Amino acid sequence: MKVSLFLTCLADVVYPASVGKSTVEILERFGCEVDFPKKQTCCGQPAFNSGYHRETKEVAKHMINVFKDAEYVVSPSGSCTTMLHEYPHLFEDDPEWKQKAEQLKSKSYELTQFLVDVLKITDVGAKLNAKATYHTSCHMTRLLGVKEAPMTLLKSVEGLEFTELPNKEQCCGFGGTFSVKMVPISEQMVNEKVQHIEETDAEVLVGADLGCLMNIGGRINRQGKAIKVMHIAEVLNSK
Amino acid sequence: MAVGTVHNKDKFLNKIAHSLGRERKTSGVVRPEWKHLPQYEVYKGMSQDELAHHLEDQCQRIHTVCKRATSQTLPNVLKEAIEELGGKSIVNWDDPRFEEYNLTKTFEEFASVEGNELHVWDPNLGEENIKFAERANIGITFSDTTLAESGTVMLLSDKGKGRSVSLLPATHLVIIPKSTIVPRMSQAATKVHKMAQAGRVPSCVNFISGPSNSADIELNLVVGVHGPIKATYIIVEDK
Amino acid sequence: MGIKTSDDKFFTRVDKGINNDFMRKAVSGAQERMQGRRLDSISALGDWEDWRNLAEEIRQHTLENLDFYLEQLADNVVKNGGNIFFAETAEEANEYIKSVVASKEAKKIIKSKSMVTEEISMNQALESLGCEVIESDLGEWILQLDDHDPPSHIVVPALHKNKEQIRETFADKRGYKRTSDPKEMALFAREQLRKDFLEAEVGITGCNFAVAESGSISLVTNEGNARMATTIPKTQITVMGMERIVPTWEELDVLVSMLARSAVGQKLTSYVTGLTGTKEEGDVDGPEEFHLVVVDNGRSKILGTQFQSALQCIRCAACINVCPVYRHVGGHSYGSIYPGPIGAVLNPLLGDYDEWKELPYASTLCGACTEVCPVKIPLHNLLIEHRRVMVEQAGKAPFAEKLAMKGYAFAASSPSVYNVGTKTAPSVMGPYSKNGLISNGPGPVKLWTDIRDLPELSKGKDKFRTWFENRDKGGE
Repeated sequence: MKVSLFLTCLADVVYPASVGKSTVEILERFGCEVDFPKKQTCCGQPAFNSGYHRETKEVAKHMINVFKDAEYVVSPSGSCTTMLHEYPHLFEDDPEWKQKAEQLKSKSYELTQFLVDVLKITDVGAKLNAKATYHTSCHMTRLLGVKEAPMTLLKSVEGLEFTELPNKEQCCGFGGTFSVKMVPISEQMVNEKVQHIEETDAEVLVGADLGCLMNIGGRINRQGKAIKVMHIAEVLNSK
Repeated sequence: MAVGTVHNKDKFLNKIAHSLGRERKTSGVVRPEWKHLPQYEVYKGMSQDELAHHLEDQCQRIHTVCKRATSQTLPNVLKEAIEELGGKSIVNWDDPRFEEYNLTKTFEEFASVEGNELHVWDPNLGEENIKFAERANIGITFSDTTLAESGTVMLLSDKGKGRSVSLLPATHLVIIPKSTIVPRMSQAATKVHKMAQAGRVPSCVNFISGPSNSADIELNLVVGVHGPIKATYIIVEDK
Repeated sequence: MGIKTSDDKFFTRVDKGINNDFMRKAVSGAQERMQGRRLDSISALGDWEDWRNLAEEIRQHTLENLDFYLEQLADNVVKNGGNIFFAETAEEANEYIKSVVASKEAKKIIKSKSMVTEEISMNQALESLGCEVIESDLGEWILQLDDHDPPSHIVVPALHKNKEQIRETFADKRGYKRTSDPKEMALFAREQLRKDFLEAEVGITGCNFAVAESGSISLVTNEGNARMATTIPKTQITVMGMERIVPTWEELDVLVSMLARSAVGQKLTSYVTGLTGTKEEGDVDGPEEFHLVVVDNGRSKILGTQFQSALQCIRCAACINVCPVYRHVGGHSYGSIYPGPIGAVLNPLLGDYDEWKELPYASTLCGACTEVCPVKIPLHNLLIEHRRVMVEQAGKAPFAEKLAMKGYAFAASSPSVYNVGTKTAPSVMGPYSKNGLISNGPGPVKLWTDIRDLPELSKGKDKFRTWFENRDKGGE
């Protein structure tokens, strides 16, 4: 099975190779042939959510072209995958691009969704000795509708002692530009999130979206707390 | 009945039609066949006994005492319920069902006790009815339709069936013929819908579920605010 | 007044909210209890999604044919002896209501809870006539006694007040001497308001839904105050937003069932009352005169636009009860009688973008509101749509943001620019890094680093692209 990786700009620009590398290695372990279209950039969400839809269309057209020959597009982000699924709405008045956008939507998956729903995997054979909790990111659960897949896979990780996060459905306060436009509110939200994480006694916070993890992790670091933040791909690739 | 007045209708409705981008619609709109009708699936096909059980269950959740009686035991069960609610003064609907269920004697006996007062709603007495209801301890009504799901009695207003009886006294006692129990509000709504189609809906259709309550102070549930403070239902097997 | 409840600026209101510890505890506790109750009550209904689809279909059909159903309503109201007034503006509505009250020479008016009367500032209009207007919903009465403190929630208006504050208000204003036990205070309200109910010449109510087929109005309450206001006074005035209507009693059932569950987690509220016209011949109680006032006040300019779905709202506050922003800032931060996600959508529509420009941005777009809305209003999408309108049509976007977004779009749609940019960014940020973290960044990054650290941007051999390329060449 041929899979094209959509790395996301955060994993590309901000974070070191680990998240992308883990994603590639997991997919390869299960027989996928992974390619990385080098011309990929960002899903366009910063512009879209800020109301700059003309600008978003330019980005979307570029991304549609980048992935036009892909069999599957897999991304280590629920939020960015959701954005790819949003593309058809951008082209309501443009049937040609709308159809292309639909095509991209139909073959785009978030990593855990792809593993569970397409590859039918429930155990990735990973091992990680740690007490962990999981942050369910909003776009992934509510908008993309991926709720069970990450839990299914995390349960199979040997040595992982898992505690459910209290108020897990609550947003961490990232919200893209919200995090810099509404700093005082974002601060209260992420504080509560960190407090709930602490209540679980977890050593590791796992998440499937780097945006949320950058926000929560940034706050954890600022508060000097000893909680490690890991992307789910890194956990599922641990040995 | 005198016909009322209409003010400023056409200008107002024309504006709406304009906003909707079309000509005014004054006829030809038919209520569609809704694609989903989940409301008729609730408690579907249940017997009267099963519905009565659900009603009893629900009463516990709405702070309502629920008693059972047969037509033979009803006078005694009613007497007991009146005592539990503190007796003293009763306002009744002028409803032929009191006689059908042989309750006339029960009320005569009640009224014969010194210090007790009984008032039967009488349109000829005008405001006196409201004044009595306002100081009465118990208002007694018969349910016209009863909703098992929500523990609700539907009361239809009429000359002898004043609205105040279920509202102004400190407590409310409702006699529920078992045959009046339906699964939920949907069946009662259909009845009223049919009345509307036939041209007359009673001026006041009340769906009452237990005593009045409020959670406006720190979300603490307080039972008994403006309406009755206590409620008792008696489910009676039909004769 | 109107929908606006404060003259403070948005961030001032937010600061006040964030620093109000009691309010925040009350709100977070309330949210959790309300959510629990809501989930319990919908679980017994079978497939809740089917219910939502049905409710959405009903609301959409009704709005698409709103002129037809309002006309049917009007015909049936007058047939049953009532009067109906269509008010395009708040002023028209108030003038009509005042004329009715004046014709009755009424001095005392008892009111049951109604958002639309708040929206048109009806109480002030009537008070200008020298009338006493008494709120009878317990929460509203508390706020009224407390020198008209604005509501902070559309279902539980005094949610931000604790029982000690309420006790003090009762003591100051009404000589209350008992404890702060909610039961005692509710009993006190019953005693105090009972007199008012019996004396009031006019009762004024809102309307949860009007029923077109019979000209009825419905009132959904727990306290019984709306029943009191429509049973004893001789004149009843009901004020409704023009969109609050259903075709028949069968649709009333669906929406009331969902309203009770979504608002307070009850299968039905203690009272759901359907009132049709004036009292009938031979009836002792009920109004002799009935007036229905149908209010537009900006709603018709929402119809037919991309925001039309906002008019599907049944005012249940489920979106408020799950909103993580409302949770931390409370209702007063929104500065409007309509707080929370639905407020952030409605206020710029009923008012304008100048007054309400921050609200659409006061959301992380987490979608919790959209998920719980019983009538399927795509709330978070409408917030994005507001942002789009402000950027593309209203010209409200800050110049610097526009420039940044243009630059972003240029980079993100041209890989060569993107690659150059992402390669140089780490060196630009380099001076701000310490131990792999940035805690005091430049420009917009500073806003981020005000409260949290930023990872040092990946560069060179750390980057995924480098790893993948090397691997392709055969090395790891």
